[in-house]
Amino acid sequence: MGTSKKVITREEWEKRLSDVKIRKEDMNKLVMNFLVTEGYVEAAEKFRMESGTEPDIDLATITDRMAVKKAVQCGNVEDAIEKVNDLNPEILDTNPQLFFHLQQQRLIELIRNGKIEEALEFAQEELAPRGEENQSFLEELERTVSLLAFEDVSNCPVGELLDISQRLKTASEVNAAILTSQSHEKDPKLPSLLKMLVWAQNQLDEKVTYPRINDLSNATLEDPVHLQSHQQNSIQKERQWAVRLCYGPHQTNLLQPLAHLSLLSNFTQM
Amino acid sequence: MNSSNGNNGNNNSFDRLSQDLGLHFLELVRIGSSKAPVEIDDAAPNELNTINSSAGFLVVAPDKLSVKYTGVNLHGHDVGVVQANNPVPVKRLVYYFEIYVKDAGVKGQIAIGFTSEGFKMRRQPGWEVNSCGYHGDDGLLYRGQGKGDAFGPTYTTGDTVGGGINFGSQEFFFTKNGAIVGTVSKEKEMNRCLFPTISVHSQNEEVHVNFGQRKFAFDLKEYEAQERLNQQMTIEKTSLPPNISYGIIRAYLLHYGYEDTLNSFDLASKSTIPPICIAQENGFDDQDIMYALNQRKTIRQLIRNGEIDAAMNKLRDWFPQIVQDDKSAACFLLHCQKFVEFIRVGALEEAVKHGRIELAKFLGLPEKDNLFDALVMDCVALLAYECPQESCFGYLLQESHRDVVADTVNAMILSTNPKMKDVRCLQSYLERLLRQLTACCLERRLANGGQGEAFHLCRLLN
Repeated sequence: MGTSKKVITREEWEKRLSDVKIRKEDMNKLVMNFLVTEGYVEAAEKFRMESGTEPDIDLATITDRMAVKKAVQCGNVEDAIEKVNDLNPEILDTNPQLFFHLQQQRLIELIRNGKIEEALEFAQEELAPRGEENQSFLEELERTVSLLAFEDVSNCPVGELLDISQRLKTASEVNAAILTSQSHEKDPKLPSLLKMLVWAQNQLDEKVTYPRINDLSNATLEDPVHLQSHQQNSIQKERQWAVRLCYGPHQTNLLQPLAHLSLLSNFTQM
Repeated sequence: MNSSNGNNGNNNSFDRLSQDLGLHFLELVRIGSSKAPVEIDDAAPNELNTINSSAGFLVVAPDKLSVKYTGVNLHGHDVGVVQANNPVPVKRLVYYFEIYVKDAGVKGQIAIGFTSEGFKMRRQPGWEVNSCGYHGDDGLLYRGQGKGDAFGPTYTTGDTVGGGINFGSQEFFFTKNGAIVGTVSKEKEMNRCLFPTISVHSQNEEVHVNFGQRKFAFDLKEYEAQERLNQQMTIEKTSLPPNISYGIIRAYLLHYGYEDTLNSFDLASKSTIPPICIAQENGFDDQDIMYALNQRKTIRQLIRNGEIDAAMNKLRDWFPQIVQDDKSAACFLLHCQKFVEFIRVGALEEAVKHGRIELAKFLGLPEKDNLFDALVMDCVALLAYECPQESCFGYLLQESHRDVVADTVNAMILSTNPKMKDVRCLQSYLERLLRQLTACCLERRLANGGQGEAFHLCRLLN
């Protein structure tokens, strides 16, 4: 099974790891990129002061962008639209889908606040014309308007539109559009790198046995094990769990009198 | 790293630890003095190989970038074949070259492709094993045998035809007048050393070749970008545990002692909608890296501002074991930095005085393996220049060097934590993850016969 694969020992792998050259500056840039893209202005400022790393975008623009995002997250869509246009009128002009989603959010908020007449008027005047131009807009519009048909909106099939997650989705879309208009990538680089690590390890698994990092949150290397001993490890773990269950959390010593073995025997049949 | 139970044992292992650290960071200084790591690929083909070609059947122009058929074309063994001067370089995502058909001659039996080193230089590429060729007269692709497969259009006078290898997808691909006509898997010829090859076989045929000296008809950059994007999209589908990035950033800030940033970061994550809570269950063991956070921040700031004396005083107060031994790596780095700071402000006399008192004793120490010597010599050399920042030792005067010193001291403080398990804990999680990523990509490439791109963080960031 795994025997035809090349095996790299822990020692050998650690040597390779120590041969890798990672520059502190580059790691700092990654961190700054994260802070800036996520919109943490103060943190980015402090990081610039503490580490000397220059942000890859003007920090002043972050505050504006965050104000727009916040406005949408709080349901103040009109305010958000005004702010976006102040920032850069081209954003909404060149982004009909975004504009539609913002208008849709406005409609949702009107419905949420029980302003039925206003909602209908708004839907007819502002959204219906957009719906005529575009099939998917029309479908979205119909879904949104159907909220009005239900007494108990929390239980209706389109109830999710009223959920905060809908606001967050729209907020995220606006955030991304602003970043793109500023020629900045809309996503931070760090999550992509983490995904790349997971992917690279999975790819490498096909050909090589080597120490892996299975838990990204503590970045510890785990020794390469052959499949058999790995199974044995999990059997051991099961036994320990069983002992703990029967005898309390402090009993993990498996060298107990033989009488207890009969209880464990069920778990050894793996 | 073994840790004994007695206090004495701890001191010994700490000394060893701080020594290892010191030497490790001296290496980093050396790295810091060089530019970002650039991978050196093999020399790319840039002209035709006039030595190894079917000389009787073709003639190569003096610029070694075009050929004309001079044979008679009686049978299948008098093809005029020529390879490039160098094999295809493999440590990249894509390799590509083009030919321009100046004259398709009587029969238009031109081919472009790739052949291995010992190829019979009188046969069309693709007619022999370990070769492939896209032929102009029939538009077929030949892969190691006399019968070809339907592949693309024919091509003739005035056409620009390109041949390439995509190491990511392990495929050959060919283009005609800027558009891809087809691809084919490269499996069989995988670990062979391949040469870009062109051939002519009937009277008056003339072909010019372009190895990248001129603009290609095909948009290679766009193709590469698209390939990278496709790969990126596949990778993006991977799922990650929630909020993992936040946790890693937080651990990074804690590790290096960026206390103010950390506080702002925590505040900001709490007020995000929805608030981000990085719970202990995620495995972040704050205790180890929370250690001496404020003191580490203070000392880092002092070093970054060039206030070395103040930094050393704080160390004496708070962590005397680090600066106890006057010949320790920590003392060495700090004394060197003080010297550099004198140079920075032009106080050359003070620098010399300081050097005589504090630096001279580090020269010629046997166990330090010449690293101490090298750094002392670099520092002292700064004295010789009117504009030291512009000299090759100028790296010592850069911000990034102050950062190396600050990082070293930070690591040494962390190592005084009795809970600190071993040297490996002295790298932030982020650094460990990035090293693992780089090593995996390199090993993966190795498993692929050494072909393809490696992972370079700096390329991704710029």
